[in-house]
Amino acid sequence: MTSHARSRPTGRNLIAQGEPLVWLTGGMFAIACAMIVSLLGLILYQGLSTLWPRSYVVFALDDGSLASGEWIASQPYRLTTESIAEFPEKTQAKAKELLRGRASVPSEQIYLRTGNYDVGNRHFAYVPVVSVDQIEPQRPEGIWLVERLEWGVLYGFPTEFTSEFTPEMDRNYSIQKALLDQIDRFRPQEESEGLAFDRTLEKLRARMEAEAQSIVEADRSKGSASASRVQKIDEISNAVAISHRKMLNVQRDLEHAKHELGRLDQSVARLRLSVRKAELAENTDLLSRLDEGIELATALGTIEQQWKDIHEGLQLCGNLLTNDPALATVFAEIQKAAKEQEEQEVAPTKESLEAWVRDFTENLPSRSRQAVEKAVEEARVVASKQFSINTEIGRLEWIRGSEQVVFALPILEGTAGDPAEFAGESQTGILSKQDADGKSIYYWRSEPNAAPILLQTKSVATADMVRWFEPNRLSVFGKLGVYGSRWFEFLTGEPREAGVEGGFFPAIWGTVVMTLLMSLAVMPFGVMAALYMREYARPGWVLSLIRISINNLAGVPSIVYGVFGLAFFCYTIGGYIDGGPKKAGFDPWPSSTWFAACAATVIAGTIAFFFAFLGSGSPAHMTKLRKRVASFAGVFWVLSLVGFIALVVKIPFFDGFYQASLPNPTFGKGCLLWASCTLALLTLPVVIVATEEALAAVPNSLREGSYACGAGKWQTLQRIVLPYARPGIITGFILSMARGAGEVAPMMLVGAIPLATELPLDLEFPFFHGSRSFMHLGFQIFSLGFQSQNSEAAKPMVFTATLLLLTIVTFLNIAAIWLRARLRKRFQSSQF
Amino acid sequence: MDRLKAIADGQTVDSVVHEDVLAAEPVLKIQNFNLFYGRKQALHNITMPIAKGQVTALIGPSGCGKSTLLRSVNRMNDLIDSVRIEGDMILGDDSIFAPGVDVIQLRKRMGMVFQKPNPFPMSIFENVVYPLRIDGERNKAKLMEVCEQSLRGAALWEEVKDRLHESGLGLSGGQQQRLCIARAIASDPEVLLLDEPCSALDPIATGKIEDLIDVLKGNYSILIVTHNMQQASRVSNFTAFMYLGRLVELGLTSTIFTKPRLKETEDYITGRFG
Repeated sequence: MTSHARSRPTGRNLIAQGEPLVWLTGGMFAIACAMIVSLLGLILYQGLSTLWPRSYVVFALDDGSLASGEWIASQPYRLTTESIAEFPEKTQAKAKELLRGRASVPSEQIYLRTGNYDVGNRHFAYVPVVSVDQIEPQRPEGIWLVERLEWGVLYGFPTEFTSEFTPEMDRNYSIQKALLDQIDRFRPQEESEGLAFDRTLEKLRARMEAEAQSIVEADRSKGSASASRVQKIDEISNAVAISHRKMLNVQRDLEHAKHELGRLDQSVARLRLSVRKAELAENTDLLSRLDEGIELATALGTIEQQWKDIHEGLQLCGNLLTNDPALATVFAEIQKAAKEQEEQEVAPTKESLEAWVRDFTENLPSRSRQAVEKAVEEARVVASKQFSINTEIGRLEWIRGSEQVVFALPILEGTAGDPAEFAGESQTGILSKQDADGKSIYYWRSEPNAAPILLQTKSVATADMVRWFEPNRLSVFGKLGVYGSRWFEFLTGEPREAGVEGGFFPAIWGTVVMTLLMSLAVMPFGVMAALYMREYARPGWVLSLIRISINNLAGVPSIVYGVFGLAFFCYTIGGYIDGGPKKAGFDPWPSSTWFAACAATVIAGTIAFFFAFLGSGSPAHMTKLRKRVASFAGVFWVLSLVGFIALVVKIPFFDGFYQASLPNPTFGKGCLLWASCTLALLTLPVVIVATEEALAAVPNSLREGSYACGAGKWQTLQRIVLPYARPGIITGFILSMARGAGEVAPMMLVGAIPLATELPLDLEFPFFHGSRSFMHLGFQIFSLGFQSQNSEAAKPMVFTATLLLLTIVTFLNIAAIWLRARLRKRFQSSQF
Repeated sequence: MDRLKAIADGQTVDSVVHEDVLAAEPVLKIQNFNLFYGRKQALHNITMPIAKGQVTALIGPSGCGKSTLLRSVNRMNDLIDSVRIEGDMILGDDSIFAPGVDVIQLRKRMGMVFQKPNPFPMSIFENVVYPLRIDGERNKAKLMEVCEQSLRGAALWEEVKDRLHESGLGLSGGQQQRLCIARAIASDPEVLLLDEPCSALDPIATGKIEDLIDVLKGNYSILIVTHNMQQASRVSNFTAFMYLGRLVELGLTSTIFTKPRLKETEDYITGRFG
């Protein structure tokens, strides 16, 4: 250090060295840092802590009720003379003592996650500390936290596990049983045969009985969970685990069946679409009358399926009797009788359908006729499939609800228990007792020797349980396990409860697919536009104007892009794709005008080409005349371009690709494709500016070197300029991706929805569904936090989603920096 | 100094071209060449032959148009919009500036080396064979042969033969410049244009380049722009002295440096002005 620097600052060199400025700039820097750190800290803390399991507490309140839940936080609270008016008397007295005549005193309130929304009608509670009877809460060890598919979290003490297994839950048995219920229809009229029938039936019933026994036995031997009742506390958790595993399979079958049902619905919609197409193509009137036919076909299909079930039942019952030849012959008779009855019953329906089809299609042109015939035929098949799937769904739903756990919730029932119970014991708080069967009963006793009060109970099907554990017994590792499993579900699962619980996978997926699609759209446009501006366009005021406009575009509020995207992409282009120019709001020209315009455009294009040819030449030989000719060529290029656009817009022969499904829009609404296009437009300035800068940074000496080797313009661009500019281009591109991923406002208008059942990119043909709406992380933050009915419950998820989005954006930025550093190294010259 | 004064006043002054130059067989003939940057005239009516298989040096104070003249030979000035030319140059039998000349084909007949080494951001091998690559040559053996030949020609082969596929940017400045020379001679040009090839190099690297020029001059016709009088006298057969866009004197280097016909040339060479 020099002596000058060490010298004491005087008034003059204070200014010369800029000491005050250092303080000023340093202070500003500190403020900026503090703001960034506090924002990031808030998001990190709230986002990371949401999924962490906390301990469960029960407070006794002054009015004799209980407040219980996961203790999330203590918050400051101001006790005022007005606010205490609604408290119970005992609390008011305590509050008055605290106030001692003052208008208000600071106090605290406890923020609890209460759960049990189906009973208590709230997810969260704020409990003023002053209203708590005993400040030290109870932390009951045996309480369970159950995350459910519906109604959110349940907190309660398990009292018993019940399972109702009946042999009807077996598919074959249920079919046989259904048959036996209606087998009297096939009883022969003749006396002697009737007797044989009765005898057979008796035998059959006996065998069925035996089979029912064996089914129950088989089920019992499969696992202890099927023991009808488990009441010992220690065994419940084991029973629930086994039952839950079983129910997962049932649930999967159920979802599969429901999915199948959805596909049948879709195929019906497709049928209508094909009929509508035929209607449009041949100008016939089909749809208005089609419903009659479909109704008939549905009825026919249903009856056919019912008979199919009867035959299957007969077949299965027949199998039971094969070892007795006499009975088998009688049974064969029954089967024959059933066949006859089927024919009698099905024939009229079938005939009426055929008559309807004949009557309807008689005078129809061929395509319409075929469409209607196919639709009716398909409707019949679909109806029979639907009937059998619905039967199956009914059976599965029944199995699904058959195993339940009964919980005692920490909510007072109101009815007092027998005072004699626990007599002589002075314990207070939550008490449990086992009755004669071993079933646990939970009470609350507020004071020693007072009558214990029963707790409310609630039963939950194990199939509804997603995750359960005992929050007050968890070790740190147990908590970590729960935390990890919750994060896993958050990242990979489907949303539950309108997105308040469960996973964010569709939102993550939607964001990623949308961003990738956006980058695919913006990349060629942005890079090529920048290439033209930097490498080909003649510098001048026009180019400067365009460049300034592009830079200004980056400052346009993003919601404006959303509005533009909605109007232009969704309604105009989407409408055009759906229903042609008319739907997009353009009056098509009459065909003669259109052909005239077509000819004019071709002529303009030819003239432009001719002029451009005449006006081309090296700058060294550019004469004034040539320049003028070249600019004329430009005018004609523009003319022919305008003509081409007009031709597309005003075409009278095009009615869209999805006219049949109108008025339901296919592309004429917000969807993934248009959202990506809108975002591409929004990030275009970023890409153009970054690419231009990258191109400008390519040393001119490289270009000259390439030209001197005899390379053409394009060769130079392709082999020297673009590779050299690549790091810069990629950086700009990834920054634009990061910006696009975090953009919300335009998404609200052009396709993001709070809850989408289908993914925009999935395993179903054709895999990419550009016309689907999608879920988006940023939009999810907005809609959960401010639009959902239960935004209080959604608040923690908002922070977690924010954290996730922030992570994605950070990741993209880091990728950009890494990529740039890596590529730049390649182009760095050695020092010499 | 009257002549220079007259030039500065914008008068037309005839240049002095020695008979030795006219006697030599020319590879390039510059004929009444004028060049304008917008309205400003940068080259005034230059007429000079460039001898075949010889080294011709262009000397003169900064801004006298040496580089502009050199860059006009392979029409690099086309890249600048405001440039306009009059007159012509003849390479072999072909006009360079006639309308309809294919500039790209023209440039392939010449090689050019710039003031600052400008190897491309690719491997040494790719750098050398770049002129062939842009012609679409894909034959590996052919490319390798040309690469070795050019690198040997540029006296760089021994130094880089083991790392042909490493980046050309990893070489030292002198090596980079020789790499650029190798690139320039890869397509076997008729004329080699050197635009102050040593001005960014240290004396040792400069020495190597000068030796190289000496070796090359039998096979190639070289036009070199230099600020360094000693360099001009060392490497060139002919020397042209330019001033403010005019050719002042052109003759055998030995003559120009020992007994020039014009006093102005002598003054410049001996460092009395410029």
